[in-house]
Amino acid sequence: MGDLVRAVFAIAGKDLRVEVRSRTALVSALAFAALVLVIFNFARDAGSVSREALAPSVLWITFTFSGMIALNRSFALERENAALDGLLLAPVSRSALFLGKYLANLAFVFTVEAVTLPLFVLFFGADLSGVVSGIVLTAVLATAGFVAVGTLFSAIAVRTRFAELMLPLLVLPFLIPPVIGAVQVTARLLAGRPMSEILGWLKILALYDLVFVTVCLLLFPALMDE
Amino acid sequence: MPADPSANAAFMWTAYAAVAVILGGYGLALWRRARRLGR
Amino acid sequence: MTPEAERARVVVRRGLALVAIGLLALGAVFVVALRFTPIERFQGLPQKIFYVHVPAAWCALLAFTVVGIASILYLWLRDARLDLFAESAASAGLVFSTVMLTTGPLWGKPIWGTWWTWDARLTFTLFLFFLFLGYRALRGALHDPGERARYSAVVGILGMVLVPFVHLTVYLFPTVHPQPIVLKPSSPSLPWEMLRTLLLSLTAYTVLLIGFVTTRYGLGRGAEARGELDAG
Repeated sequence: MGDLVRAVFAIAGKDLRVEVRSRTALVSALAFAALVLVIFNFARDAGSVSREALAPSVLWITFTFSGMIALNRSFALERENAALDGLLLAPVSRSALFLGKYLANLAFVFTVEAVTLPLFVLFFGADLSGVVSGIVLTAVLATAGFVAVGTLFSAIAVRTRFAELMLPLLVLPFLIPPVIGAVQVTARLLAGRPMSEILGWLKILALYDLVFVTVCLLLFPALMDE
Repeated sequence: MPADPSANAAFMWTAYAAVAVILGGYGLALWRRARRLGR
Repeated sequence: MTPEAERARVVVRRGLALVAIGLLALGAVFVVALRFTPIERFQGLPQKIFYVHVPAAWCALLAFTVVGIASILYLWLRDARLDLFAESAASAGLVFSTVMLTTGPLWGKPIWGTWWTWDARLTFTLFLFFLFLGYRALRGALHDPGERARYSAVVGILGMVLVPFVHLTVYLFPTVHPQPIVLKPSSPSLPWEMLRTLLLSLTAYTVLLIGFVTTRYGLGRGAEARGELDAG
């Protein structure tokens, strides 16, 4: 077990170190998030559509697209340098490889979300008093789910010619439950709805995470067979 | 409540025709492929 | 001709026979639905689209379940025939999804006044379509048969696991549109003539599904027997 944990952190650490040095993906994701937020404000007809009505959707569009950028980059590194074979030869289990990648992707997407949320509050004038922890919890739950699936599909897509197209196509159906759930909870939190309305959705998000992290972990080794 | 009965019939017919074309077409395509490959 | 190729031929013939029977049954369903089934009071003629739309949904879901189960079995047993079977089911599923996606809006427009709405049923239809499309696109993009089989099996299993979640979320999603008659356990039972037509249609569609899958599987086996690189 200790070996597994060490391997997971080694792989995650490697990915994150590469990212920290080059910073390109992180900067693109953040720039993109800021851009989306700004454009939404300009594109909105201030008279007819309130900021509050749009807010949850905009937040989650930003989060998901930034997530896509992170996931695209995830296995691309290995493909460019044919490094995947090296990783597979190392005495590291397939599960450790998946978990390491997953953690690195999570760290990346969480970072983007952590920077985006204050920007969102700023541009949308959202009043988060009292609901910050709720929003953060929702973000964590929903992100954990779609990043797990995205990590697995990124390993698949990287073997195809049009990986940048294949990844979103494959992932799209899997975004439906976490994104719908997250937007529902966010909208209710911002509107000050009681907890009872929200708990059901949170349970769905949690269940989704449990099921898909497990299934992705179980299926990942099949991708790495020779 | 549907407002225009004749227009509504058109939707129904179009839908049924589409079903016939799609399912019949796929069946036909399979049959032709079988013929080409010598069954 | 090798015994394998001969066996494949038999399978194809049986499959095509089922397809022919299915199509004939479908014709009978058309006649029964259009001529011998009462017109629904609130929706009028367009309601009859129900008889060709709902069975398509049933078949698409059934097809995807088959894809999922065949995928699990493939990863466990690594028998290429299971991969071919999954692919055949996915191909049929895409056809039925297309039927759903075509008949859905044609039903929606006269009833709700709009071609598309994000209500549960249509959203779920679109979602299934994208699942099948993604599976198909992935297979097209991978050329090594072993890799293609393994990767599509993974996608197939994940898709099957996803279906209940999407069903749950999409049906919980608040919708303002009045629901037309949909077969749900809680709704009042359909009058006998309508139920009878629906069941007839379900039978015809299921026969077609089995015929489609069988034929495609047989064609795939035949291609393998001839030593051709199948196109996936």
